[in-house]
Amino acid sequence: MQPILTFNIIGMKNDNFEMRLTEMTKPKIPQLKHEDMLGVAIANAKDKSIVSLWWLSVPVFIILMLVMKSIYMPGTTLVSNMSEMEIRNRYSSIIFFLISPIVIIVFNALSIRKIHFLSGSPKLIYFLGAIWINILAISLSVIVLIIYSL
Amino acid sequence: MNLPWFKRIGIFFIPANFIGWIIFVFGIIFAIYSFLDIDGRSHSVSDTLMNFVFMLLIIGAAYSLIAYATSGAGKK
Repeated sequence: MQPILTFNIIGMKNDNFEMRLTEMTKPKIPQLKHEDMLGVAIANAKDKSIVSLWWLSVPVFIILMLVMKSIYMPGTTLVSNMSEMEIRNRYSSIIFFLISPIVIIVFNALSIRKIHFLSGSPKLIYFLGAIWINILAISLSVIVLIIYSL
Repeated sequence: MNLPWFKRIGIFFIPANFIGWIIFVFGIIFAIYSFLDIDGRSHSVSDTLMNFVFMLLIIGAAYSLIAYATSGAGKK
């Protein structure tokens, strides 16, 4: 009697197992983690580039004012006006014309590097579409640094 | 004190929290005070506008830095 009972129990277990197998579904991944990471990196890079543009607007505005001054005041040039401003406002000119452009270049370059790393080998057009504001911020920073070093 | 205090829309950071609104209103009040102060010392309209725009850009830069730091950008 004992072996038959065991067989029945095993058979019941096998039936349950088959039912569970038929009801079982494959685990689905709604979104890849890597895709999330890339999205966050692109959003962070855009945030950084916007802050960079706000900080670059101050030296760009000063340079535009000095250009206007050199145009409308005879006998002055952009370089002479810059050096005069540097003497009058030493610390603020160092902050806005030297420190902030260098910091902006470093942060934006790191953001671009991170996006490039996470996106593998993207097509150039898509890659430029994601980072064009960062490139603009870096370009403006370089221009500010060049004008300051004249 | 839960982040984010701000959310970015275009090139502007918009308050998303009560503390964000306090910082935003403080920035507006400081800009108005700066305008009145500059206007009281300036000699012409262009003098007022040039100095005020410069001050406005500095306020905007400081505000955007605070907003970026408190928008939870690195913690998404």
